[in-house]
Amino acid sequence: MATGTDQVVGLGLVAVSLIIFTYYTAWVILLPFIDSQHVIHKYFLPRAYAVAIPLAAGLMLLLFVGLFITYVMLKNQKATKKVQ
Amino acid sequence: MTKLAQWLWGLALLGSTWAALTTGALGLELPSSCREVLWPLPAYLLVSAGCYALGTVGYRVATFHDCEDAARELQSQIREARADLARRGMRF
Repeated sequence: MATGTDQVVGLGLVAVSLIIFTYYTAWVILLPFIDSQHVIHKYFLPRAYAVAIPLAAGLMLLLFVGLFITYVMLKNQKATKKVQ
Repeated sequence: MTKLAQWLWGLALLGSTWAALTTGALGLELPSSCREVLWPLPAYLLVSAGCYALGTVGYRVATFHDCEDAARELQSQIREARADLARRGMRF
């Protein structure tokens, strides 16, 4: 078994993924079958956000990855220019 | 057929089924709760795939078999090697 921070981080990731999965499943799959007067609807945003939030998060991820790649490429270019 | 072609074929099939059902092009009268579940389905599958990936990575990080003794031995060997090479004149 891994030790120390590795275990904590790993189990933390598992917990986060389970929480997100359960909440999202309840939101998308279960809520339409529950009577609209039920109190549980108070804990969930309007349904349009169920697609908008993951879409926005995905775009942010792509943006971040693109920026990171640009940064690394520029750093490499500058390093080779210095050597020349 | 290559794997990529297979995946694209499967995705195209599922995508067209979903599009046909959500736009009502097949003329089926689905109950409104089923339609409510159907239209976010691609986003839902993507999010659950992401959650599965994240959970698997986290689980394997947590259950990785560390060998602490071997790690310490390796670190001391690395230090020995660096000292030896530095003595022989190599600069790091």
